[in-house]
Amino acid sequence: MPEFRHSNIEREMEVYGYDSFVKSHCRMCHGGCGVIVYVKDGKVAKIAGDPDCPIAHGTLCTKGLASAQLAYHKDRLTYPVKRIGPKASGKWERISWDEALDTIAERILTYKEKYGPESVVFGYGTGRENEAVIYRIANVLGSPNVITAGHFCYGPRICTSIITCGTNPIVDYENFPKCIIMWGNNVTISNPDEYKGEPFSVALDKGAKLIVVDPRLTRPAARANVWLQLRPGTDAALALGMLNVIVNEELYDREFVEKYTHGWDPFVQRVNEYPLERVQEITWVPKEKIREAARLFATTKPAAIQWGVAIEQQTNCADNDRLLMFLMGITGNIDAPGGQVLNRTPNVVNVGQFGAHGMLPKDQFAKRLGGERFRLASRFAILQPKCVWDAILEEKPYPVKMLFLISSNPVITRANAKEVYRALEKVDFMAVADFFLTPTAELADIVLPAATWLEMDYVGDFWKRHGYILPRRKVIQVGECRSDHEMLNDLAHRIGQGQYWWNNFEEALDYILHPMNTTWKDFKKMNYIRGEVKYYKYKEGGFSTPTRKFELYSTTLEKMGYDPLPQHREPSESPVSTPELYKEYPYILITGARQPGFFHTENRQIGRLRELHRDPIVEIHPDAAAKEGIHEGDWVIIESRRGIVRQRVRLSLGRDPRIVAAQHGWWFPEKKDPGHGWHESNINILTDNALESCDPAMGASNIRTLLCRIYPEKKASYEKKE
Amino acid sequence: MSKHAIIIEEFACWGCRACEVACKQEYNSVDADNGIKYLSVWPDGPKLMNGKLDFVWRVNVCKHCDDPPCAQACPVEAITKREDGIVILDYDKCNGCQLCIDECPYHAIRFDEEKKTVTKCNLCHHRVDKGLYPACADNICLAHCIYFGDPAEIEQKILEKRKARGGWGDILPKVITISRG
Repeated sequence: MPEFRHSNIEREMEVYGYDSFVKSHCRMCHGGCGVIVYVKDGKVAKIAGDPDCPIAHGTLCTKGLASAQLAYHKDRLTYPVKRIGPKASGKWERISWDEALDTIAERILTYKEKYGPESVVFGYGTGRENEAVIYRIANVLGSPNVITAGHFCYGPRICTSIITCGTNPIVDYENFPKCIIMWGNNVTISNPDEYKGEPFSVALDKGAKLIVVDPRLTRPAARANVWLQLRPGTDAALALGMLNVIVNEELYDREFVEKYTHGWDPFVQRVNEYPLERVQEITWVPKEKIREAARLFATTKPAAIQWGVAIEQQTNCADNDRLLMFLMGITGNIDAPGGQVLNRTPNVVNVGQFGAHGMLPKDQFAKRLGGERFRLASRFAILQPKCVWDAILEEKPYPVKMLFLISSNPVITRANAKEVYRALEKVDFMAVADFFLTPTAELADIVLPAATWLEMDYVGDFWKRHGYILPRRKVIQVGECRSDHEMLNDLAHRIGQGQYWWNNFEEALDYILHPMNTTWKDFKKMNYIRGEVKYYKYKEGGFSTPTRKFELYSTTLEKMGYDPLPQHREPSESPVSTPELYKEYPYILITGARQPGFFHTENRQIGRLRELHRDPIVEIHPDAAAKEGIHEGDWVIIESRRGIVRQRVRLSLGRDPRIVAAQHGWWFPEKKDPGHGWHESNINILTDNALESCDPAMGASNIRTLLCRIYPEKKASYEKKE
Repeated sequence: MSKHAIIIEEFACWGCRACEVACKQEYNSVDADNGIKYLSVWPDGPKLMNGKLDFVWRVNVCKHCDDPPCAQACPVEAITKREDGIVILDYDKCNGCQLCIDECPYHAIRFDEEKKTVTKCNLCHHRVDKGLYPACADNICLAHCIYFGDPAEIEQKILEKRKARGGWGDILPKVITISRG
């Protein structure tokens, strides 16, 4: 009997008779995972994890394993189309790439001429690592408007970390943290930028203590030493309470605080405004538990915080991020082995340079939509999407005439979906690049067939902060699909930007790599390149901030006219901020808990992934369900001030009875009408996008916490209980 | 003869469900929406367990019992236990009577309406016989909680892991010996 070996490539080839295999880099979500793609008769035959990958170590998730089902899906768009009926009529006609790109180019140049380049808005969603090319084409054109998820997803971590400590601090799982706080996140079933579940899991197997901050009882929360079951939207207060304990019990790193922080005294003053009695009242977390967690985190070395997007999709976005960094910082875990490292990326052209932000003229920068209101976001080229919808619908402060959305489905993913839909219905011209005719694409004039990660060459993760770049190698060609990078390189030539682009996109990859004297041809032979690994870099040169210190008191925010110290702000709708509304909408609705297999709106047409989750699910406590006459498996109506949607009930003890938890991202590709059920279960029908409800610095929409009613679908309408 | 067992340490499972999709990939063509899958992960809880609100993931898959009750229940001897421990269902012999389904204490046998036979995990014996790990156990699991190999060695590994965790992991893998009088 032969010896068993994991990921035995030679034997797989022999046993299954594959023709070849390609090592590549998955991008079904945030990248990071090395994969082995086996090929037979020119088609992908099997996908497996690559054990040589320094990030996921050969493990792989549902999405990566199902990638071939995406690439070869029968409904996939494989050639460019133009719409020949009214919007959302579902009437399309095949056209050539030349016709598609020439039409788009002609529109861009016409709007630029008539209304200025700012009237042309580019956009992407969570992205296929296309952010650098999209910013490049917009900046060279002179449009300051690129609409992304950046206001409430990852962008805030980048912006707030740059102003606090220079760069995004990444958990150093390689050196096994001994205490981990998992804050508003479940890395075991989701993949926040830079992170995979495997290293987290291994750290726990090595004996790390675990603290989980989550209103829901997830499996990590069940396994935690301390579970802090907070009231949704009160993360900042909880963090301030923990900092209060650490400061007043003198559990902080004295040397770090004295030598390397800026603003300690005002920070202590602010922290003292949050004694545990007050924090308990705000957060619903017993003060003893807050104290226990703070002590455990501050006295166990090294310690780290596994964070993610949930704390950012809130009114308190920027302060939430900063407060978590303060916890990392004053405990001495920043840039410490096993703590939270400020990684050096390999010496490549970085995403900012590639994005050509320096080429945007100053007077055009000044025209960035919402730039005067959301000043931190604007500094980093990030927009609040409502500002774009307003510019389309009301033409204020100037009209937006064209959208070019690439891998983005804002009708489902952005707050107040009905307003988004109205804006896309009205916009003069819209081009979309995607895999399928999504509900957003159905409103476009032209839709371009985008390539999946299996169909492109790219320098994977070159915009990330985990310190690696990994080659993504093209394996197959599907129909006429083209990568976003190639299509934009082509389009750029057609709008007169040729001198800033390349003859083909391989030359752009060479450009990214040239500071290392490497070409794409050389890089694609490697597994990865890692930046220099070095700890405590701040001890030599300080932090890359205006004061060269770790800024507890932000001089940047102060200059911008914001409170330089973090604070707790109530969500725009809550039992505390809107008690009258709470009487009518008596449940706190939280949204967006991740489901393995889905990536926001993606993958609901992939059989192997949809099978894992047939229906959109709303979780409700059995006591609350009994009160509302709701039973397990019922379809129910969830209603907010902005609308109603239907989801299916799962009874669960895993949250406070006052809280209801609904899923996000739902549409129904199997419904063949052009709406594809975009409004039926789409939780963003219910969410609020008023600018007053957003984070004041980042413009993050508060889509995670609102007030709702919930009642059986069979009841015709909500009967007010007297 | 070396022993081949599959043991899943449910305490460590995060419910990522990659093993389900790996199983699907192994047994179905790329364009098959539905189709064969031999294992399924399901949430047990949140519920009160030993007075505490708890929540674990469970994995239903054939445990290849030492003394498999399904084999005893089968009137046509379609289920047999190999010397290496793998309990094999011979699809050609199965007459679809479904007597085995109720006998399985792990709910790991299902009825395939299309083929009119029962269906269960054969531990990827087509791979194992060629020296390859079963699809679900080939290092895809991010929790590293799916073990394949000699049961005694696996038990040792799990005990070591438990020790390293600081004693965590009271939910030991289910005993795989089922004996009937």
